Amino acid sequence: MSFKVIKSGFLATIQDYGRFDHAKHGMSRCGVMDEHAYSWANYLLNNAFDDAVLEITFGAVELEAQLDVLIVVTGADLDFKINHKSAAIWHSIQIHKGDTLSWNSPKSGIRTYLAVKNGFDAKVLFGSKSVNLREHISTKISQGKTLDYTESFDTRERLIPIQYIPNYNKDITLRLLPSYQFNEFSVSQRDLFFNQTYQITNDSDRTGCRLQGAPIDLKQTKMISEGMSYGSVEITTNGLPIILLKDAPTIGGYPKIGTVFSLDLAKLAQKQPNDHLRFELININEAQEERVVFNQFFNIKH
Amino acid sequence: MHKIILAGEHSLLIYFGHKIDPNLPKNIASFSEQLIAKFPNLIIDLTPSYTSLLVSYNLNLTTYQSFAKQVEQCLNAFEYKSNHVASTLLSIPVYYGFETGLDLERLLTEKQLDLNAFIDIHSSVEYLVYAIGFSPVFAFLGEVDSRIRAPRLATPRIKIPAGYVGVAQSQTAIYPTDSSGGWNIIGRTPIDLSLNNPSNIDKFKTGDRVKFYPINKNEYIKHGGKL
Repeated sequence: MSFKVIKSGFLATIQDYGRFDHAKHGMSRCGVMDEHAYSWANYLLNNAFDDAVLEITFGAVELEAQLDVLIVVTGADLDFKINHKSAAIWHSIQIHKGDTLSWNSPKSGIRTYLAVKNGFDAKVLFGSKSVNLREHISTKISQGKTLDYTESFDTRERLIPIQYIPNYNKDITLRLLPSYQFNEFSVSQRDLFFNQTYQITNDSDRTGCRLQGAPIDLKQTKMISEGMSYGSVEITTNGLPIILLKDAPTIGGYPKIGTVFSLDLAKLAQKQPNDHLRFELININEAQEERVVFNQFFNIKH
Repeated sequence: MHKIILAGEHSLLIYFGHKIDPNLPKNIASFSEQLIAKFPNLIIDLTPSYTSLLVSYNLNLTTYQSFAKQVEQCLNAFEYKSNHVASTLLSIPVYYGFETGLDLERLLTEKQLDLNAFIDIHSSVEYLVYAIGFSPVFAFLGEVDSRIRAPRLATPRIKIPAGYVGVAQSQTAIYPTDSSGGWNIIGRTPIDLSLNNPSNIDKFKTGDRVKFYPINKNEYIKHGGKL
């Protein structure tokens, strides 16, 4: 007994920091798509960095609290309401038994995070509470089911300064590490890749973000399958990129032009079909430094 | 011979060779064990494949430059073995029937083989687990005899139920759970390889060997096989 699901929405799943040490078994990393919004949600509740949250995509979710609980909602503005009245996000709020929480449709961004004090109590499967629909590991939330948590009460409010709240409507440029087969793409094909604006297609999901644009010409289209990093950018046979995301398969056989820096993938997580993006280069030193600062601030252990 | 490249802000990829070689999977598995033993705190995830090993490391404790150097030293000291001494052999029962082998009839015509000859060719080989991936417990097994090789279907099937055994060029595999896929389906195993049984996670390891043995329809049904 905790939150009762009144409306289950398009796609709402329990996610945490991810499933590690199972890539050798062919399991995806999983975990939250927007690590930035997720980390703030846990931070504002003084939770562990890897506590489980509810990731709501596009909205149409309604929950009824059956126990008092301290919550934080971060990420996309999906018209969040408490008892049918607009409520603050990026802000801790005490919820009481009988309150209803609802998300309607996206105003800015597409993924929102509901965190509760001490995280959701979901079953740990293979070291993580993250749901992976492609791998049949647990399921999305459904009407009538419950989302369990431990009762909590705290009157102290915590919020993040407004200047740190991202504007998800801004166009994004993804910073790309020159990794994998970067050097095997000709200079002119790399120029084509970095000088164009790509459009996100409809068949993008938690597995991959598929892009539309001018195709890249490949010398070599087939290669021996190898391990794929989160954010690596495959150039498929038709010359179009796929950015591999949290639920991506662990190995694959297309050449990869590089790997998107993880904190830029958090920004990508709030984009939807038809949105535009560009790529630019980042070097490994800059990427490492920026990520370590982020990890230290949020006390992320790895 | 080996080569280390950048794969992401907290991962590197080691190549152990340029082409598929039956000696590599066991060596990559044994190098993985050495790395874990040597850097238990640094390693977050390992993804072995045919000729490579993807290593994710803890960025809070090291950097690409310094970790790559340490891995390079381990590689230089690593001894490749050409014979796999200890490698597990798994036996998997398969019902090669026209009800379960969705592409069997077509393949027999294309290859001009009768059913018994086809079964014999597929089930007499000891296959090596080259890689695990695509989905959990999905093992890429090689190498399939050239007499029964066939390219992937032009259009993948939307749903292949769990247990189906397929062939694609020089590889064969079992679909552990319902999924989409483009392999030529030649039979089905009655045994459950899904994660409904969590111990299946370790069922196949790279470097292990797998042999299929044919069972008839009655045995297949008796062991819980579905038609």
